[in-house]
Amino acid sequence: MAEDRTKPSELDQGKYADDNVKIICLGDSAVGKSKLMERFLMDSFQPQQLSTYALTLYKHTAMVDGKTILVDFWDTAGQERFQSMRASYYHKAHACIMVFDVQRKVTYKNLSTWYTELREFRPEIPCIVVANKIDADINVTQKSFNFAKKFSLPLYFVSAADGTNVVKLFNDAIRLAVSYKQNSQDFMDEIFQELENFKLEQEEEDVPDQEQSGSIETPSEEAASPHS
Amino acid sequence: MYVGMMCTAKKCGIRFQPPAIILIYESEIKGKIRQRIMPVRNFSKFSDCTRAAEQLKNNPRHKSYLEQVSLRQLEKLFSFLRGYLSGQSLAETMEQIRRETTIDPEEDLNKLDDKELAKRKSIMDELFEKNQKKKDDPNFVYDIEVEFPQDDQLQSCGWDTESADEF
Repeated sequence: MAEDRTKPSELDQGKYADDNVKIICLGDSAVGKSKLMERFLMDSFQPQQLSTYALTLYKHTAMVDGKTILVDFWDTAGQERFQSMRASYYHKAHACIMVFDVQRKVTYKNLSTWYTELREFRPEIPCIVVANKIDADINVTQKSFNFAKKFSLPLYFVSAADGTNVVKLFNDAIRLAVSYKQNSQDFMDEIFQELENFKLEQEEEDVPDQEQSGSIETPSEEAASPHS
Repeated sequence: MYVGMMCTAKKCGIRFQPPAIILIYESEIKGKIRQRIMPVRNFSKFSDCTRAAEQLKNNPRHKSYLEQVSLRQLEKLFSFLRGYLSGQSLAETMEQIRRETTIDPEEDLNKLDDKELAKRKSIMDELFEKNQKKKDDPNFVYDIEVEFPQDDQLQSCGWDTESADEF
């Protein structure tokens, strides 16, 4: 089960992980993305801030069906001035958590923009819609939100403040990410997989252990980073 | 010397000329209504209202009287004074205070710079902290699951457009 949490620092992450997945958090500024992350990870979180890219990376180790899964959560800034860097956020993501604030209509309306952008880069990955801050107004849980229905996406009512459904949300997202990675039919994913295997084979010939260290650099290296 | 002050704050306001914070309180010993005038010194239209409020609240002479008056209220009173000193009308100052202490649900925060965004976040954090269940609370539960079924009988959130195609 994904609930078994181990402190990432206690594990030499790559070495013991059966697999690794990348989950991205999308949504407007101040909908509570970071607060949700922190509520899920509690004390064990050691985020790595890459403020120039308006990105916070959280590493997490989960157990899914008896396998150790290394999870990279990419928590992104909603601000418009970072829009040009988004291509690298989406790159090779396996699942998406898309958050809005039940107190602010504009954050709900903007879901369509986020979703369009997501599908442009990742047409197939599982996506969960999250209505956050239900502690501020519990009545919203008795209302229907057509956005999720329209795109047949699961809708979770959560509160980062009191904790309602936060752990369930993340554990479900991890499961979806793992199952997507295992079963993906996406053409681009297959190419990436091929490239990755190719790279691994090469590195095994050269320096066997290099691949696992400094994995934090991997995203910007491989992704279309603003530098390249 | 302060000897177990027993006072109940009734009202707290500001006088512009000469500037002073005025507290109406009931002294519990005799049940009498009293007024305390606390002069505001070295305050200009460029001053920081939060700092001024903190300084007054921590002033050894006034501290015990202001225990029941929140920092936020004092801050607001100083904002009125600052507005007055900058030549704003009362209505303008009130509008400014309202803007600075509430969230406009229609405002697109994606368009703000870091400083403005941080201000909005700190307003929101107030409610967050009020409702927050912390790890060291005695009845803290890590994994709380509550089901909210989305069936067809639900009332619309009111944020979806009328046409069936759009959400």
